[in-house]
Amino acid sequence: MRIPILKLHNYLLISIQTELDDHTAIQFQEDLLGEIHKTEATGVVIDLTSVDVIDSFIAKVLGDVVSMSDLMGAKVVLTGIQPAVAMTLIELGIHLQNVPTALDLEQGLLKLHQELGE
Amino acid sequence: MNRDLRNIAIENSDDIIHEWLKEINLLKNVNYTMDISDKLYESNNKEFVNVIFSSIRENGSTMVVEEFSKKIIHLGWPLSYITDGLLVFRKVTLNTILNKLEEVDPAFIASVLSNVDSWVEPIIRHLVNEYSVSWEHIVSLQRIALQELSAPLIPVMDNITIMPLIGTIDTERAKFIMENLLEGVMRHNAEVVLIDITGVPVVDTMVAHHLFQATEAVRLLGAKCILVGIRPEIAQTIVNLGINFSQLPTKSTLKKGFMLALEITNKSIVEMDNKSQYFNEILGISKED
Repeated sequence: MRIPILKLHNYLLISIQTELDDHTAIQFQEDLLGEIHKTEATGVVIDLTSVDVIDSFIAKVLGDVVSMSDLMGAKVVLTGIQPAVAMTLIELGIHLQNVPTALDLEQGLLKLHQELGE
Repeated sequence: MNRDLRNIAIENSDDIIHEWLKEINLLKNVNYTMDISDKLYESNNKEFVNVIFSSIRENGSTMVVEEFSKKIIHLGWPLSYITDGLLVFRKVTLNTILNKLEEVDPAFIASVLSNVDSWVEPIIRHLVNEYSVSWEHIVSLQRIALQELSAPLIPVMDNITIMPLIGTIDTERAKFIMENLLEGVMRHNAEVVLIDITGVPVVDTMVAHHLFQATEAVRLLGAKCILVGIRPEIAQTIVNLGINFSQLPTKSTLKKGFMLALEITNKSIVEMDNKSQYFNEILGISKED
């Protein structure tokens, strides 16, 4: 199962709608970095609205993706993290310190727009 | 034998009631029922003693007792009145019965004791049970009321929400606060949440930890938290305890926090220029005056 990555102007949009297992997550990481390289996107929005569970490994992968994309010149925003997911992450001690977040896709795009100054 | 004793008690009920009323009236002045009128006290005493006798007569039937207990709980008579009353009744009945009988056989006295106890015990048990059930009911209602008050979330503007916290924060409440906060952020589409801790008497490492967790979780949702209402003594405790609040924007008052929230959400308060002019016009004062 591969996660579809959509391109919109300079941005890449990803809506994760399946249970993320370790393999899918790694696959997604590679796909996204490849896509950033190919499209020269400047911003990425990863929407997690329909994700009910994020374990420590997935959280680490997401954090890594953000740092890696940053290195490649694409700013990443995570959107739509559910309250229950946020609580579990905090209880696990995963704070995703350097990851920008937004309430929904709309706010996420707005945030990217502001930060990239376009 | 059992029946005999009961008959003796019932036959001498007038004496027992008389003695009992005398004793219980002595108790009235001692404590709890000071503010109850004499008339009401007397009528209630009569009813009480009648209930005891009918319970004895009907061999421990709880129907009468149940009705009586409902009534006195409703009227708010103290439990100590009931227990004292029954203890006095026990004493008086024992005295009366032992006076009526010539025998002084220890075994017989023991059986009298256990008999009288068996009359009084079910009533006492029933009444105390009824009382504790009523108390537990009240406590659970108050707990619900307290929970409703414990983490309110007030949307004051588009994207700005305030959570005023009052009272001590313990682990259970902190969890409730976090849940409410996150649900509220989603529901109100909040961009900034102001947490007002003016009413929190003590901020120790545990409270700080809970607040941190809540604000971090809010950040993951994509909103920002501002901690407001930090009183001087709270600031002192925080620094003395070595708690690092540097990642969290803090302000001394809700007003200042609100200004910061407006700034974050790209809003500002604009005063109406023509307001004073408008008032002047109403009052008929011209500018030149």
